[in-house]
Amino acid sequence: MHEFSISSEIVKTVLDTAEKNNGEKVLSVQLEIGELTHLNGEQVAFWVKELFKDSVAEGAEVKIKAIKARIHCRACGYKGGIRSDREDSFQHLALQTCPKCNSFQFMIEKGRECFLRRIQVVG
Amino acid sequence: MRIVKSRGSEIFDIELEKDLLAKNRSLAKENRERLDRANILAIDIMGSIGSGKTSLIKAILKRIGMSNSVAVIAGDLTTTIDAERIEAEGARVIQVNTGKECHLDANLIHKALNRMELDGVKLLFIENVGNLICPGEFPLGAHKRLVITSVTEGPHTLMKHPYIFKEADVIVLNKIDLAKAMKVNPSQLERDAKKINPHVPFVKTNALSGMGISKIINALRLKT
Repeated sequence: MHEFSISSEIVKTVLDTAEKNNGEKVLSVQLEIGELTHLNGEQVAFWVKELFKDSVAEGAEVKIKAIKARIHCRACGYKGGIRSDREDSFQHLALQTCPKCNSFQFMIEKGRECFLRRIQVVG
Repeated sequence: MRIVKSRGSEIFDIELEKDLLAKNRSLAKENRERLDRANILAIDIMGSIGSGKTSLIKAILKRIGMSNSVAVIAGDLTTTIDAERIEAEGARVIQVNTGKECHLDANLIHKALNRMELDGVKLLFIENVGNLICPGEFPLGAHKRLVITSVTEGPHTLMKHPYIFKEADVIVLNKIDLAKAMKVNPSQLERDAKKINPHVPFVKTNALSGMGISKIINALRLKT
């Protein structure tokens, strides 16, 4: 739900970086979004492309990779991924439980990140 | 014939490895350190639109009667309605308008702390923007997080938004007086809460009448 503000931050960072490196054109941007964030990759890509318009990054490819979640269950000690056997793609956000013991008592070790990994520029 | 080609532009990769959510986490840590140095207990109040966040803060202020050592940061999109309601209780209030944003973030709290007169403040309430999704992703540096929901939001709020409740230190079910009219079973919501976050207090309140407020004061270990 805060795709716009995150996208603005991404765009600002990309344009600043391109400028610092004397980049004439940005060709692509690679993002990684944790599956436990409330960020929708499709919406982020839409806003980033929209905000790139009329800049050196206009038309750049926006690649988004998902970061799989990793949890540590406090109830049974399980460490690993979350269940992904349900069909709806947002299942990880609602009612996720430990895949081993079904407890809600787990710590999230990975999956809440939103990385701007690298950009490709022509200089 | 020799063709002399000018050297074309180069394509190169720039590695950034920048976690855009990490900045918020590090600012939240700074806020926490600053509050600790000033000996201020900060409580982040989160909940849906109209769940009773402001009414709850008002009710707590009325009960603890230490308004000159309490400050409130009131988050809202554009208005000062909530800040004015709280100011009426005598606490120091600073309004943070987020404009379009659906949540407060650590940077806004950092700015608010800079602008506030914190001398003599022992307790700080941070009223988040009404929303059960985004605020959970943006820690502010508060010591405790209270999440409030109300029976008028229906019977499924906790199961639909487990993450925000999972990280709460106190869960409040407000407008309990309306449960029957809303055909909502508070015991079911309590069972949901215990499933998601079994070890934290679940308090039923009617913030307007003051019912349950002393339990919240105890749960948050506020001095009275």
